[in-house]
Amino acid sequence: MAAPGQMRVVKKRRPDPRNVTHLVMLAPVLIFVLVIALAPLVFSFVISLTDYRLTDPTQARPFVGLGNYIKAFQDKTVVDTLLNTFLFVAGAVVSQVVLGLALAVLMSGETRFMRTLRSLIILPLSLPPLVVGLTWRALLNVQIGPIAFYLKQLGVDVGRGLLGETHTAMLAVLLIDLWQWTPLLMIIFLAGIKSLPGEIHEAAFVDGASRWQAFVQITLPLLMPVLFIGVLLRTMNAFKIFDVIFVTTGGGPGNATSVLNFHIYKVGLTFFDMGYAAALANILLFMIGVCCAFYILLLHRQQARAGGT
Amino acid sequence: MPARRAENAVRNIAALAVAAFFLLPMVWLFTTAFKLPRDIFNLPPVWLGFEATLDNFGFAFGQTQVMRFVLNSIIITLGTTLASIVLGTLGGYAVARSRLRFISASSYFFLVLLMVPPVAMLLPFYLLMRDFGLLGSYLAVIILDTCYNAPFVVWMMSNYFRALPTEMEEASLVDGATYMESFLRVTLPVAVPGIIASVLYCIIFSWNDFIFALLLTSPATKTVPLVILGQLSTSQSAWGSLAALSVFAVLPVLLIALVLNRYFVQGLTAGATKG
Amino acid sequence: MSRKKSRAILGILGLIAIVLSACSAPPPAAAPVAPTAPGGGAGAAPAAGGPVASGSTCDALVTKAYAGNKLQLAAETDQYIEGFRALIPRFKTLSGIDMNTEELGYTDMRQKATADFVGKTGNYDLMTVDIVWSGEFGQNKWTVDLKPWIERDKAQLAYDDILPVMWTLGSWQGGQFAFPLAGYANILSYRADVFKTAGVGVPKTLSELQAAATKLTKADGSQFGIGLLGAKGPAVAQDFMAYMQQYGSSLLDKDGKPALSTDANLKALEGFKSLFKAAPPDATGWWWADRNDAFAAGKISMMLNWSIAIKNHKNPSMNKFASDIETAFSPLGNEAGKYGFGGWGIGINADSKNKDAAWMFIKWLTCADTQKVWIDNNGAPIRRSTLTDPDLVKKYPWFPVLLQSFEKGDGDYRPRQPWYSKMEDVIGTQVNAYLVGQTEAKAALDEMQKAAVGIIK
Repeated sequence: MAAPGQMRVVKKRRPDPRNVTHLVMLAPVLIFVLVIALAPLVFSFVISLTDYRLTDPTQARPFVGLGNYIKAFQDKTVVDTLLNTFLFVAGAVVSQVVLGLALAVLMSGETRFMRTLRSLIILPLSLPPLVVGLTWRALLNVQIGPIAFYLKQLGVDVGRGLLGETHTAMLAVLLIDLWQWTPLLMIIFLAGIKSLPGEIHEAAFVDGASRWQAFVQITLPLLMPVLFIGVLLRTMNAFKIFDVIFVTTGGGPGNATSVLNFHIYKVGLTFFDMGYAAALANILLFMIGVCCAFYILLLHRQQARAGGT
Repeated sequence: MPARRAENAVRNIAALAVAAFFLLPMVWLFTTAFKLPRDIFNLPPVWLGFEATLDNFGFAFGQTQVMRFVLNSIIITLGTTLASIVLGTLGGYAVARSRLRFISASSYFFLVLLMVPPVAMLLPFYLLMRDFGLLGSYLAVIILDTCYNAPFVVWMMSNYFRALPTEMEEASLVDGATYMESFLRVTLPVAVPGIIASVLYCIIFSWNDFIFALLLTSPATKTVPLVILGQLSTSQSAWGSLAALSVFAVLPVLLIALVLNRYFVQGLTAGATKG
Repeated sequence: MSRKKSRAILGILGLIAIVLSACSAPPPAAAPVAPTAPGGGAGAAPAAGGPVASGSTCDALVTKAYAGNKLQLAAETDQYIEGFRALIPRFKTLSGIDMNTEELGYTDMRQKATADFVGKTGNYDLMTVDIVWSGEFGQNKWTVDLKPWIERDKAQLAYDDILPVMWTLGSWQGGQFAFPLAGYANILSYRADVFKTAGVGVPKTLSELQAAATKLTKADGSQFGIGLLGAKGPAVAQDFMAYMQQYGSSLLDKDGKPALSTDANLKALEGFKSLFKAAPPDATGWWWADRNDAFAAGKISMMLNWSIAIKNHKNPSMNKFASDIETAFSPLGNEAGKYGFGGWGIGINADSKNKDAAWMFIKWLTCADTQKVWIDNNGAPIRRSTLTDPDLVKKYPWFPVLLQSFEKGDGDYRPRQPWYSKMEDVIGTQVNAYLVGQTEAKAALDEMQKAAVGIIK
């Protein structure tokens, strides 16, 4: 600050080199993403207002306003897929978080045995979902798959098979997804558990609380940040499920496993009705956006509480 | 004490059962790759005592020429990983350290991007690539993959960087380094575990990607998952060759994951466990 | 730190080592005759009849005029894929053309071909075209109209030898948008031993089919009368449309307008579902491969399928009961007395830069002598001479049945219209939903009608 009587400091502020550096570092990825992601998305919104079919020899793009959106909501298939999407995401996230947490607790021991098992369990994560789907399709095959065979030995009536019955098809897909992704949650939660100071549990024991009580009332709340990350990661990916459904049920039986993501693929990338597909995609985006807003609010509050940012 | 031991035993058995659940399907896949057609769907299932054959692999190498496509997958994966790591690590650092609200808030923007279903992005991207004549090139897939990977790397690395203490950086700044130099010489070396975790993620994502490759590659630039798909024939189930090809799709990433899994955990959970 | 680093480096080195070692292993040269996929019978003896005898008239059709060019074929992995695998190496030697095949499953075939057309990427020079896509490809001019070339080369093609019905494999409004590649007749394959034991005669009508299937189904689930395709999509659509044809009902009314909610169709749909009672319960999810697997395992006693599958049925290394399997005409219920006809044509991409070279390949492939090797490698016939050749008839005794089925074949029972794929998708979804009990027959037909009105213009 200028001392009284001295010449006034020129008000022109040089940009803080720290901020400049940070801007320069952020710029590439930001620009890249804006160009590659946003531009197409805007384009997609524009197309959704037309009846653009790539298969049309004239490549005409007649403007239809909200026609595609109205058509979408009048189509029973689309409504079904919306429902299925919601069911799948909710089912996947809840089941995998619960199981992931249980596994983290179960396999938290530090013996060589446990450590080996843990590093083996995360292998499904590295498999292509396509291969995972194919493998399970073979395993669940009623005629010649091992699972059906053992079930029949146990006297269970397999009927059309897990993937073939309308009331179990979605459960089968959830099972496959659970098989592949729960290990991810397990390691995240385990890391969270490990980072908790041990004294907390000791104190609980001394006070006479049961193991379950200690877990629920002390450990769980402390694990919130980690749980949150797990839920976030899984939700993000659950909306994107495609490969497994593509290769096991194709959306069937009937529409039982048709999620919106898959339906968009069919409309847009096999029939190439781009206009209608874009509208469907925007509907899905909106649905996800609502979830997002919710999460971001929570994340913001959570990080503020944790003293981050 | 006996109660403790019994409990441990139960725990171990349960853990073993869990491990079996997660491992058996993979065992099935790997053993099927070595089986003759008549053994594959033999009931009761033969897990170990079967006559091994390399026919399926011979088919994979010879008829399907899988190595060509492994090369394609490698090119695309390397390209994506390189781009994503460079873009994402720089951005992640900025997001973690910047005092500008605009920059640190942009992490939410990246997070949101991750929620966009690939199909939604693929539709217009396909049209754009068509107009640019880039359909079928490696570049098309690399660009789109990076679009998905880079934000995740930004997010992951920003969490990781936030968890790193700033003393050393501050010290180097005092010593006269620029902000960039401080980042490159002081922060980066310490952040290697996080970077390795990001690398692993990028590799898994691009190597295993199916739908982008399905629409954006040509017969020459096809990747391994597409080759597998081609085996789902309408006449006979060629599960043997499917399994053998799947081994190619699976093995490289599997090995890398086995070696690097410790870093994956570290990198993923750094920010979360800080609280 | 260095320890971790070295582990990482080791891992990457290991990966490189694997890749290099695999790369250096020379891919085994594909034998010119029948390198069958392991799934296609690893123990099968190489097909008799070897490479086309040098100096045959067919080889003379191939010149080195286009040597050094590339041809990319997209072929769907029906059984005839083995024919391609056997013949293309020879073509490459004869012509000096570098020809590659991309093998695709059924849904991918259509999706990739369409993507190639609308993306204008010209990835494929030649593609296999399902009979039902004739209208779509023709209307949009995605494949070249071969009519002028056929006229010009009529003598070379031995035009009159090709059975008339075969031309439906690509014809559309006067043009020929794919050349006949593989003709399929709807045929009944059955286990003669099982029939004999149960004292059941070969069914000739639909009602006999139903009766036979029911009688051959054991209550304990160890054996079922019939196998049907029930999987959502093209699979169930195909089987249902075949049933409709035999039943005598149709998608369209006399004026060509969509007429799905008719009584005839309702009865056909219900009849179709009741046939499923004699099939394994999971048949509602079967694709072609699943049904073939079940037949090979002895689970089902008969099936109505395309004739190209017969050779594999009667191959002991692929089917345990090969010697007991017989072929018969498909049961008929329609007044015209026509058998279902289907199959594949081979088309030249309108965006191809090697159309003449592609045409040369087609001429050579469909030439009479080459066809013998084609047939021996699981291809399907298009010529009368192939079906009446004494050596071949000896090897494949079902040829006379095939010939008659072709002569009385109807290739249009599935309308080869441009809108067919979309309609097939609707049918495939609704019929499957009805089979698994998700919807009622009338509701399914009404949904189909509603969609048809929007699709069939």
